[in-house]
Order: sequence, then structure tokens, then C-alpha cells
Amino acid sequence: MLLQTLEIFLIAISAGVFGSILGLGGGIIIVPVLTLLFNVPMQTAVAASTVSIIATSTGAAVAFLQDRLTNTRVAIWLEMGTSTGALTGALIAGYLDQRFLYILFGLLLAYSGYNMFKTRKNELPEGVLPDRLSQKLQLQGSYTDRQLGKRIDYQVTGTIPGLIVMYFSGIAAGLLGIGAGIFKVPAMDQIMRIPFKASTATSNFMIGVTAASGAVVYFARGDVKPMIAGPVVLGVLLGAVLGAKLMVRLKSSTIRKLFIPIIIYTAFEMIYRGLK
Amino acid sequence: MTTNKPDIQTPSPHEPIELTLARLLRIGSFIAAVLIAGGIGAMLLGNEAIADRLITAGLLALLATPIMRVITAGLIFVREKDWRFACFCLVVICALAAGIYLGQTHG
Repeated sequence: MLLQTLEIFLIAISAGVFGSILGLGGGIIIVPVLTLLFNVPMQTAVAASTVSIIATSTGAAVAFLQDRLTNTRVAIWLEMGTSTGALTGALIAGYLDQRFLYILFGLLLAYSGYNMFKTRKNELPEGVLPDRLSQKLQLQGSYTDRQLGKRIDYQVTGTIPGLIVMYFSGIAAGLLGIGAGIFKVPAMDQIMRIPFKASTATSNFMIGVTAASGAVVYFARGDVKPMIAGPVVLGVLLGAVLGAKLMVRLKSSTIRKLFIPIIIYTAFEMIYRGLK
Repeated sequence: MTTNKPDIQTPSPHEPIELTLARLLRIGSFIAAVLIAGGIGAMLLGNEAIADRLITAGLLALLATPIMRVITAGLIFVREKDWRFACFCLVVICALAAGIYLGQTHG
């Protein structure tokens, strides 16, 4: 029991580090580890993972907000898409063929993985012209990049397409219970042309909100088991604080290179689930 | 890069929203971490009843943090008279509330 708690705690720390650097929830690590290595029932694992998404988000966001890496205005704009999308997903669950959705979202991820690979050498987006809505909403941002040692000012484009993609990513999260950050980061990177570090930090900020409504439901159902979720959440929280300190010192292109294998893996896993 | 509005960084008498939200998230995660760590400590000492309660309280504190964050952001936008973004926050809060309600009744 003691050893198991310690093991879960240590794995959770690494999930927190990776999740906070990449702007992901870390469910990709937590769920398989709990179910396969520790024989935790799927429901309990998913509930613990959902609460730990909040831990990743909250733990890392402090450092990102202080460095202004998080674009709060973009986050709130896009949260409208993710939260209403998650609601739609919950409403239409059961009316749609899940296998078809897995394949569809899998292909979408594969495509954005390919795009990300093409731009792997770019450190910062260049020549981004803000659209009119972006100017109106003042979505532009600036942060001090500790790695490059300078202040980065950037513009944001694709304001409406970005919101639409977030709506569908919310549906995916609500229906399939996956994709806390895996759709958000590429949408901000490739459609809205936000610097990669700001994209992952903003995704990190947003995932906690979407996860919160799911977590409340799991709590009410009694799926959150304190003895499992406790060590997971504490580990992830600690990992996220450490990961965020590390992330602000990494190059955007390095983080992007770490992201590519994860997105490709998730794409294949989703397509496989749809075909199986 | 030039934009139509040169005076985009409107000076505000209040601290930037990022710092307020960072403080809120720091307090939330600190309370959650202390309660959960205390709970795990109690678990190691063999007091399962207390452990259960402390960890649950910690998890609830953590869960409330992002919800509080959206509400706080909304209030800051209201104070700054940024009605557009205050409305955006309201949409998010309503969607969250509806999601919680639906999940509990149809789950």
C-alpha cells in the first residue's frame, strides 16, 4: 500500500512535468498507468485523471501568468468554444457513432501533427497580420522569453476559425473524454499563429476550466476515490510547478519537437480505436 | 507592427489581471496541496477516516479553483467596464453550470 502510493506519486510528478510543459492534461499518462500497472478500474482512473488535469493547470498557471506567457484574453475567448462544445458533446452523446468520431478526430490530429512537423524549425511565427476581430478584442500579447532573453510581442489571427475549432475540441472532450489540450495547442499554433510557448501556456490555463465541470460530475457520482486521486493529484501538482519553471526556460522549437511524437501517437491511437 | 489603436495598453489603476489570477491560483493550489498532503500523512499513520476527509476537502478546494478563476476574471472585466469580456465569462460560467447540472441528472 505504502509502496504503491509512493509509485503512483512519482509517476504523477512526471505526468505533471510533461503536462505542464506541453499544455496537456496528462491523462495520456495517468489513465494507462493506473489501469494497466495498478489495476485501478477505468472509471476511477478517468475520474482521478480529470481532477489531475485541474492540478496540472492550476500548478503551472501561476508561473506562466507571472511571465505573461498565458494570454488571458485569448483563453477566455476560446473557453467559450470549449465549454459550450463540451456541453454539446454531453448532450449528443449516444446519438453519434463514437467509432466515426474517433477516426475523424484522429485524422484531424494526424493532419495537424504533419503541419507541426513542417514548421518544426520555426522559433516564432513571422508576419502575422491580426484580423479585425482580433484587433477589436485586443487579443495581441507580449511576454518576456527567458530562453531568448528578450520581449516577444505578437499578433493573433484566425479569431473565429480558432473559436470554431475549440468548439469541436470541446465536443471531442465531452463525448470521448479525451483531448484536454491536444487539440487546443495546434489550433492556437497553426490557426491563430500564436507563439508555441504562449500556445501551450494558454492551453494549460484553459484545460482546468473544462475539466472542472467534468470533475464535479465524477465527484457527485462517487467516482473520485480519495486514496487513488489524492496521491495522483499531489504528485501532478508538484510536477506541474516544477515543469512550469523548466518550460519558461525552453525554446519554443524544443517544446514543439516534444509535442510532435505525442500528437502522432494520439492520432494513431484514436484511429485504431475507431477501426477496432 | 502598427495597429489601428496606438493606445492599446490602456493604463489601469488596478494591478494586471494576470497577477490577480496568479495569486488566486497559488492560494487554491496551496490549500489543496496542504490538505491532500495532510490526508496522505494520516493515511500512512493508519487513520483512514481522517485521511479520506482531508483528501476529499483538498480535492474539492482544487476543483473550486478554476471555477473561482472564471468568476474572478468576470468580476475584473466588470470593474474595468470591459463588457464584452465580462459577457464571455458569463457564457463560460453558464456552460459550466449547465454541464454540471446535466451530468448529475443524466449521468
